[in-house]
This record gives sequence, C-alpha cells and structure tokens, in this order.
Amino acid sequence: MAYVVQSDSLSKRYGNVLAVDDLTFKIESGTVTGFLGPNGAGKTTTLRMLLGLATPTSGHATIFDVPYAQLETPAMRVGAVLEATDFHPGRSGRDHLRTLSRAAGLPDARVDQVLELVELDSAAKRRVKGYSLGMRQRLGLAAALLGSPDLLVLDEPANGLDPEGVRWLRDFLRDFASGGRTVLISSHVLAEVAQTVDQVLIINHGRLVTESSLDDLTMRVGGSVRVRGPQLTQLAEALKREGIETTMSNDHALLAHGTTSERVGDVSFAAGLPIHELVTEGSSLEEVFLDLTSGDAS
Amino acid sequence: MTNQLRAELLKIRSTRTTMGLLIGLIVLALLFIILTCTLSPVNQVITEQDQVGLLSFGSIAGVFAALAGIMLFTSEYRFGTIRPTFLFNPSRSRLFMSKMVAGALAGLAFGVIGEGLTFAIGMIILKTRGIHISLTGGNITVIIVGTIVGTALWGIIGVGLGAVIPNQVGAVIALLAWGFVVENLVFGLLPSVGRFLPVHAQDSMIGFNTQHYLSGIDGTIVLIGWTVVLTVAGMALLRGRDIN
Repeated sequence: MAYVVQSDSLSKRYGNVLAVDDLTFKIESGTVTGFLGPNGAGKTTTLRMLLGLATPTSGHATIFDVPYAQLETPAMRVGAVLEATDFHPGRSGRDHLRTLSRAAGLPDARVDQVLELVELDSAAKRRVKGYSLGMRQRLGLAAALLGSPDLLVLDEPANGLDPEGVRWLRDFLRDFASGGRTVLISSHVLAEVAQTVDQVLIINHGRLVTESSLDDLTMRVGGSVRVRGPQLTQLAEALKREGIETTMSNDHALLAHGTTSERVGDVSFAAGLPIHELVTEGSSLEEVFLDLTSGDAS
Repeated sequence: MTNQLRAELLKIRSTRTTMGLLIGLIVLALLFIILTCTLSPVNQVITEQDQVGLLSFGSIAGVFAALAGIMLFTSEYRFGTIRPTFLFNPSRSRLFMSKMVAGALAGLAFGVIGEGLTFAIGMIILKTRGIHISLTGGNITVIIVGTIVGTALWGIIGVGLGAVIPNQVGAVIALLAWGFVVENLVFGLLPSVGRFLPVHAQDSMIGFNTQHYLSGIDGTIVLIGWTVVLTVAGMALLRGRDIN
C-alpha cells in the first residue's frame, strides 16, 4: 500500500514550548483520516510542516514521497484549506480563484467548474467581504479543488459552520473519498468527523496518543446502548449469542455493554425483534476521546 | 515564474488598492503642478534647477510605487492569502521574484503616468505664461528617464520592504517615516551621508545637481544598490520565516 503522507519523528519547538514532539505516522492512500486532539495539541503546526509552510525543528515530512516544496505542481496533487478566512475581502470569489489558477497554470474554465461544484457560481463575482462564513468555507474548498488533487487536507473545516454546512461538508467529503482519494481532516471534536472518517490519529501535547481505525476506537467504548421494546428478554438472548453482555436497568430498559447502537440494531433486526428506543448512553466515542486526551501526557 | 507573475498582476488588478494609489498619485500630481506652475512668481520658476524641481514632481510616484510594492506581500500576510499562495507555489524565491517583477511593472506604470502628466501639463502652463524654458534636451531626458526608472526601482524596494516587515501598517509607517523624516534630517545635518540615502539618490537621478547631491550616474547606482539590499534582505527573511 502506498503512503500518501508520512511524518517521520516530526518536532517543532517555539522557544520553550515543544508544540510537536517526535510525531511519526503514515497515511495510506484512499483513506479518510481524522486528525484529532484538543485545541493547542499541535494539529495545525503539524499540518503546516506537512505542507511546507513551517520548517520542522527536527524530523521530516513527505507527501507522495517527497517534501511538499519539491512537488512538481503541488496544486494538482494536494488541496489544502488551513483557515476559513484566507481571502482579500475586496476581491471577488472568482478573482481569488483566478489568482490561484494562474499560479498553477490552470484555465479560467476550471475556476468556473469548481465554483459550480461548491455551489458558489451565483455569488462568484461578488466581493468576498459580503460572503457568509459558510460561503467562505466553500470558497476555500473550491481553491483546494482547483487542481483536482488526490489528497485533501482540511484544518478544522467544521469550525463555525451551521448544521446545514456541516452536513454539506460531510456529504462532500464522503463523495470525494469514494473515488479512492485521500482525506486528512483535523478537528478538536470527534463527533464532527466520526461519521466521515475511517481512521483516527489522536494527538495531545504534540505527541501521538492513538492511531487506530474508528472501529477499534469504538470497541474501546466503555458506555452502553440502551434499548426499550416489547421483547427484551429475547433480545438479550440474541445479543448474548453475539457475545454482547446485557443488563436490565431500573426503568426496565435493556443495557448492552461494549458495543454500538448500530450493532444492537442490526442484531435485533436479524432476530426479527421490534425495538422502540435505541440510544447510546453517555457520549460514548466522545468520552473515549476525552479520556485519551485529558490525561496529562507528559 | 511566468504563471506566478500573471497571478501577481491579477492580484494587483483585482482589488481597488492599487487603483486607489494611482488615483491618489494623479490627484496629487495634478494639484501640485497646476497650482505651482500657475501661481509661482516668474522669478521662482525661471532657472534650470527651478524647472527641474517643478517638472520632476512626478517622482513623487516613487512613494506610491513603494506603497503598491509593500501591498504585494503585506496584504497577503494581513488577509492570510499568503497561505494559499505558498501552497500553490512553495518556491519562495520564485514567488519573491514574481512579486519583484510585478512591483517593478506597477512602479513603471506609476512613473509613466505620474511624470507624464506632471511634465506635459507643467510645460503647457509655463509656455502659456510665456516663461522661457531653461531646460535642455539632456535635462528633459534625465528628468523623464530618471523619474520612471527610479519609480520602478521604488516598486521593487516596496516589495523588499514588505517582505522584511510583513506587518502592513508597520511597513507603511517605516516607509513614510524614512522618506519624509529620517532622510531629510540626515541630509540636513550630514549631507555627505544623506546624499547616499535612497530618496536623495533618486533626486540626483532626476537632475538635482546643486551642492551635496551625487551625480546622476552615481545616484542611479546608489538607488540600485538600495534596491539590491532590500531585495536580498527580503528574500532571505522570506525564506527563513514560517507561515503561521
């Protein structure tokens, strides 16, 4: 399997602060990876080093096997959005994209294509200062997509988006990745990306805490799934056959432990048992995430 | 680099900033040349040096060209477009050179427009008033070529200054404080040093030849030297600096 992104003992020191500390990871082609950690964990610094904007104090990073700055035409390989607000307010959205497409030697026709793709074609000739945050996010994404890249790097793309925008982004990323392309998306909220990513890299205090698939992470969930329904005894037996432990709650609901609501739903469907309520107790994945990142890593 | 240069020229054209600077230059040049040529008593506009001073007023375009040059980097830092710019073109030296050429071209345009207007209108008014033109063909060539070349160099100096001081307000204040305060102080107190400073070097380029000034050729070399210094400093700092 080819690695699209490789970080090899990457470190970055600012004065006395070690923002990124000996970070090593690889990202395979065709995956959607969530790059997670609390604010200040070193995510943005790491992405900047991957993209050649910041020089590592030690270690090195490659993208498609070379340092970013050595990519022949980087825009055709990698699309990145680091901040949602990187526009001159007095320049139109279309002109912003044209300044970039010219730098990459792409025709204006490509600009109009990506504008349509992110549904900004009707606002294209307006100055960016009149754009909503959601429109700016999409303009940033349009810029990243100009060169039809194989790798998309997004830093906290859901920040400040309304629920509709988050859903739009999720659908978009799913679509992008379904074509075998690779996505690296950072976030400080696991829930934002949990439905999109298939693996996670979790960092805290600049160090790698966990590198795993989302499924493995889910398996670590200590919480339980709460079920109500008319045939809970039969359901408990069906779950037991699948190796899932259950207990009865005080209010006559069934609690399934160490599993996910999807799994419980599937088992009960397979057994032909109706259910009236199916909820994950606590914030499950989010709790694991907080557990992993709240402990002082030093 | 051609692609990046085309991108830089589009950046200049696609906001109102540079157009605003150009309009400012035109208004200032017109006001100055019309008012002084019309209102000055004849005995103040009659000698060769009087007329050099008057008709080379277009060299004020150097300030505007430097401001336009400063914008090329500082507005990218100010609005964050420096990030996509570097993502699309990670070669910092290529980016710097593209901006340098763009700054020089903007400066050239400013110089041609600023000095062209000043010179043409000034000549028309003086002749209409029946004032004898004391300038020779040589004087006129020096004024026009010196102003335009000088202004193009100021465009590059602005780009270099913007790379040295990425903070837009800081770079603009540094330029204005230097050009209007520091240089005049130094030239007033120590003319033997002050004449080597960039604004006074440009003055000698456009034909100021009173006491203390460098010769036109030396002035040109000195201004080119300042351009090289700021270019090298700007390029070195740009290459070493992380983009936040």
